[in-house]
Amino acid sequence: MTRYAMVTDLRKCVACQACTASCNAEWEVPAGLSRTQIRKTPIKGTFPKLVAGTLVAQCAHCDDAPCVPACPSAATSKDAKGIVQVNRDVCIGCGFCVEACPYEARFINPVIKKVDKCDFCSPRLERGQLPACVTTCPANAKFFGDLDDRNSEVFRMVFSEGASRRDTPEIAVGPNVYYLGKREQVDLVMASYPPRPPKLPVAGVLWERAAKPLVIGAVAMTFLGQAAAFFQQLRIGEKEHED
Amino acid sequence: MKTSAIPTHPLPLTAEQAEAMEQRHIKKHHIAIMLLHWFNAMVWGLELMTGLALVSSPHFRVVPMWFLELVEGLFGPRSNLLRAHLTVGMVWIVVFLAYGLFGGKTYLTKEVLQKEIALDRDDFQWLRIRVLGILGRSKEPLPPQGIYNAGQKLFALMVYAMLPIIMLTGLIMAFHLFGTAAVGWAVLIHFVTVGVVVCGLIVHVYMGAVFPEEKPAFFSMITGTVNELFAYSHHFKWWREVKLEDEIWLHQRRSSEDAVPPARGGSDPGQNTVG
Repeated sequence: MTRYAMVTDLRKCVACQACTASCNAEWEVPAGLSRTQIRKTPIKGTFPKLVAGTLVAQCAHCDDAPCVPACPSAATSKDAKGIVQVNRDVCIGCGFCVEACPYEARFINPVIKKVDKCDFCSPRLERGQLPACVTTCPANAKFFGDLDDRNSEVFRMVFSEGASRRDTPEIAVGPNVYYLGKREQVDLVMASYPPRPPKLPVAGVLWERAAKPLVIGAVAMTFLGQAAAFFQQLRIGEKEHED
Repeated sequence: MKTSAIPTHPLPLTAEQAEAMEQRHIKKHHIAIMLLHWFNAMVWGLELMTGLALVSSPHFRVVPMWFLELVEGLFGPRSNLLRAHLTVGMVWIVVFLAYGLFGGKTYLTKEVLQKEIALDRDDFQWLRIRVLGILGRSKEPLPPQGIYNAGQKLFALMVYAMLPIIMLTGLIMAFHLFGTAAVGWAVLIHFVTVGVVVCGLIVHVYMGAVFPEEKPAFFSMITGTVNELFAYSHHFKWWREVKLEDEIWLHQRRSSEDAVPPARGGSDPGQNTVG
């Protein structure tokens, strides 16, 4: 089994946006949008004990990804290597997954009018290359590998060095994007950018809670009504026109 | 014109009369309408099957997994499923637009719609007695009906109301019109409106194909005609109209034969009645 994960070492990241630039170039993401996000926390503490951190966010390819069930047409699914994939031939761009994502990693690409997000550079992986952001990072702050491989760099970082991930006791969907750094730095980033609760848009909630039971109920009632009429018809027997 | 011998309300028929009437057929549907009906039926079958299989999220799915796998087995990968759904849907929309464009002047005029779709007092009576009758609670005679009975009218009304919504929401999803939020709402509305039509469809199929008393109506969608006895007993108002038109036509033909020579440029006697 393969379970890909990404680790960012916050001690090395200087928020230079090289990863964002290379990602946008690689995947032709329209200007103003991006599959990766860099956010800098405000500086905390008093001089000389100051703390600041950078959030390097992208799709976390969660173990229990809330975007997968939110997609009405199963365009979003988790593949065998743990990557959350979007099948653009099935996506209709309804945006349900965009609201379901706790990490705001998804957006509707205005050019293709379908959802867009990080896929760990799947086509590059197939060619035996690392994700574009990893190879581009000038500080060598990004690491990519297989968590099921005990000899991998990311395995060591996650299980020996104790890399953190953005989850809370309430929202723990098993993200596979980890952060390494000084404790107070990582804590500040985790506290500044907590995951948001996964939710469905109003149309989706209405669909699930109201439309689905109502439609199933109405169709079932109609069908049963007609079935009852049919058995009545069988009981009476067919009569030719008598009038 | 002399007073008509055609009754104004259904009278009991003798056995010979009934038998003779059963042998005579009245044209009910144009071939274009029959083709459209069966095309539409085919589209609904395909679109319902692919559409239900497309909704696979556990939040929204309404059919069991085996059904999804069955349809995926028929169509191949899910992308084919969506492509098939969109292609059939587009063909459907184009055909109905063509129908509106070319047949609209004939079939969608105010007079036709008023006669074929608008419910009158008899229709509401009919609905009450029909439903109670099927449940075995009423033996009252059904009030006379026009070319379509009140149930058919109700179904048509519902379909006319839902079709534009289904088509529009389908187009919104297919071409991502009016933005992402619109697409999200379109999915919901598409689902609900189709659900409403499916309820009507169940009744429509039962009444058309299973219910014994309406069997001639089912075959009329294949042959285009119904026998006169059926028209008389189920669609009396329409039967009377057809008879009156025949009478007018006969009368006009007779009077035009009497007139020597026929007035040039005058109205063609057959023009108003045949066609």
